[in-house]
Amino acid sequence: MASRTVTPQSGFGSFINSLEEGFISLILGLMVLLTFTNVVMRYIFNSSLIWGLEVVLILFAWLVLFGIAYGFKVTSHLGVDALTNMLPHRGQRLMGMLSALACLIYAMLLMKGAYDYWAPFAGFEQTTGRWFPTGFDERTRDRAFYVTDQVPMLEIFRWLEGAINAGEEYEKLPRVIPYTMLPVAVALMLLRLIQATIRILRGEQMSLIVSHEAEEEVERVAQGQYEE
Amino acid sequence: MDVVLLFSMVLALLLIGAPIAVALGLSSMMFLLVFSDTSLASVAQSMYQAMAGHYTLLAIPFFILASSFMSTGGVAKRIIRFSIACVGHMRGGLAIAGVFACMIFAALSGSSPATVVAIGSIVIAAMQKAGYTKDFAAGVICNAGTLGILIPPSIVMVVYASATDVSVGRMFLAGVIPGLMAGAMLMVTIYVMARIKNLPKGEWQGWGEISASFLDAFWGLMLIAIIMVGIYGIPGITGAIFTPTEAAAVASVYAFLVAVFIYRDMGPLAGANGPIGTVFSKPSSLITAWFHRDTRATLFDGAKLTIMLMFIIANALILKHVLTDEQIPQQIANAMLSAGFGKIMFLIVVNVILLIGGQFMEPSGLIVIVAPLVFPIAIELGVDPIHLGIIMVVNMEIGMITPPVGLNLFVTSGVAGMPMMAVVRAAAPFLAVLFVFLILITYIPWLSTALPEWRMGPEIITN
Repeated sequence: MASRTVTPQSGFGSFINSLEEGFISLILGLMVLLTFTNVVMRYIFNSSLIWGLEVVLILFAWLVLFGIAYGFKVTSHLGVDALTNMLPHRGQRLMGMLSALACLIYAMLLMKGAYDYWAPFAGFEQTTGRWFPTGFDERTRDRAFYVTDQVPMLEIFRWLEGAINAGEEYEKLPRVIPYTMLPVAVALMLLRLIQATIRILRGEQMSLIVSHEAEEEVERVAQGQYEE
Repeated sequence: MDVVLLFSMVLALLLIGAPIAVALGLSSMMFLLVFSDTSLASVAQSMYQAMAGHYTLLAIPFFILASSFMSTGGVAKRIIRFSIACVGHMRGGLAIAGVFACMIFAALSGSSPATVVAIGSIVIAAMQKAGYTKDFAAGVICNAGTLGILIPPSIVMVVYASATDVSVGRMFLAGVIPGLMAGAMLMVTIYVMARIKNLPKGEWQGWGEISASFLDAFWGLMLIAIIMVGIYGIPGITGAIFTPTEAAAVASVYAFLVAVFIYRDMGPLAGANGPIGTVFSKPSSLITAWFHRDTRATLFDGAKLTIMLMFIIANALILKHVLTDEQIPQQIANAMLSAGFGKIMFLIVVNVILLIGGQFMEPSGLIVIVAPLVFPIAIELGVDPIHLGIIMVVNMEIGMITPPVGLNLFVTSGVAGMPMMAVVRAAAPFLAVLFVFLILITYIPWLSTALPEWRMGPEIITN
């Protein structure tokens, strides 16, 4: 299936691109190796990394959350284009704008949700308001003392103890670390969606979903990647 | 009813071309904000927990990765050679070999489109060269490719198991007999068509070729053994060795090692014209392989597919929360029971819902939404949960080859280089076979439940 191929114009763009792709591949690689190591350790050394599973699950969440933004950047998310394909050009453009609007609303609502969920774990105040942030809620219950089940505390995060945990020592990694990916990833998603919306308004792109022309597969076959 | 509003919104968003995940997520968020007191923070939490809280779903990225290594690693080519050696000499042999190869590849990979790409890109061209029409070739592969989600391992089964809390191991075992049966039915159909139309047949290449091609494909085929023995243990000797998730991770590492160090079709030991050395002549490869361009590209491909699928599944889970909070499954169950629906009628309704839904939705996302809706009713009516799962999977198979969102159709049209509508027509005769198969599966529960019950004892329903 054909997604937009990204040919970054600037050196900076290609640097960011390889950073994103590298990070995504690295997370998946780590997930596999960690799970595999734990299986091997269990059978051969009769022990295991007790934090292995929890870390793999955190990485899984990071992989998907972080990757969503990348998916919007290269337009690789799945959708239904049966109806929009039947419309004339102008209709397609209109539909493209409408779906971009829907995505922007989605990302903005999720942004508020992600911040509100993360904030108490980082010692910040949640926002008030149901749909839109209307201010900060002073009654937010501080959750900065919540720690992960098994993941050991890392030395580089010790400064958090003074910053958010009233100087008390963390025995395990505080939850705020894994959860931080949530607002970061949603903010990135919002950024990529704004960029995609601008491309749609400029007429450089028709929709936010992968087109089903399957050009990519044809190309790969044509390139002889699958030859006998 | 509020829920009608919810579903209309999902459908409207889908039709204007919003990503499936956003259509599901945005509708559910709006619903929650208007009709309940759930906060956006808890929506964000369920997005995070969709991954971090579902150990079962963790098998998905690993199975995807194993199959990525297997398809870039030239395993498909070796499986096809083995299949042709086995059945290529019959009338219509190459087509039958194509189905056979799809069945074997399905046992290595958990996805249908992946099976079509891996097998189809080689077999369709070869069939044309041997004198078959392109339409016939595309139709065969498009249908046989759907076995990818029926023959274990299967991503769709992992999703079903996770959505309904049945065991992945049972689901995988339950797919074995139906998978073999569907393959056999397709093969018989092809054979009969080949007799009538006098389609070409290949030459018998002798037992030597069978054993040579088997040895060549051996390392790829071993993956099936690793997965099955890992999950179920060696009968009579050991119990289960890994969980399905661990089996998937082990399978990915194994597939990587085979592709890079044994077949050497990718990584530091691969050249443009075959392997350029061995581990012994180039020991540095032991280190470089892990960071090689090919390895990173395959990891990235697998990750991208995982992200696409999980984005949809995570949002489908939000919708699922809405439905269960509103007690929709119970309402539907009561409506159906008070209308006097029996088991048979219920199964027909499930078939129809899934066949229609399967034309608009990605299979895993649809399962996440529909499974919790029909599961409690099925239990109430005494339908076996495993049997229900297999029915759903077979329905999804058919959904994959019916327009407009038939994933297999898109992939086949790309691989064969022919327009969508031509593929739809080409797939139609075999689609009829799958329909007969669906009816058999729906009304003969034994086909699905026999193997898991024999191996793992009867299913105990706790809720």
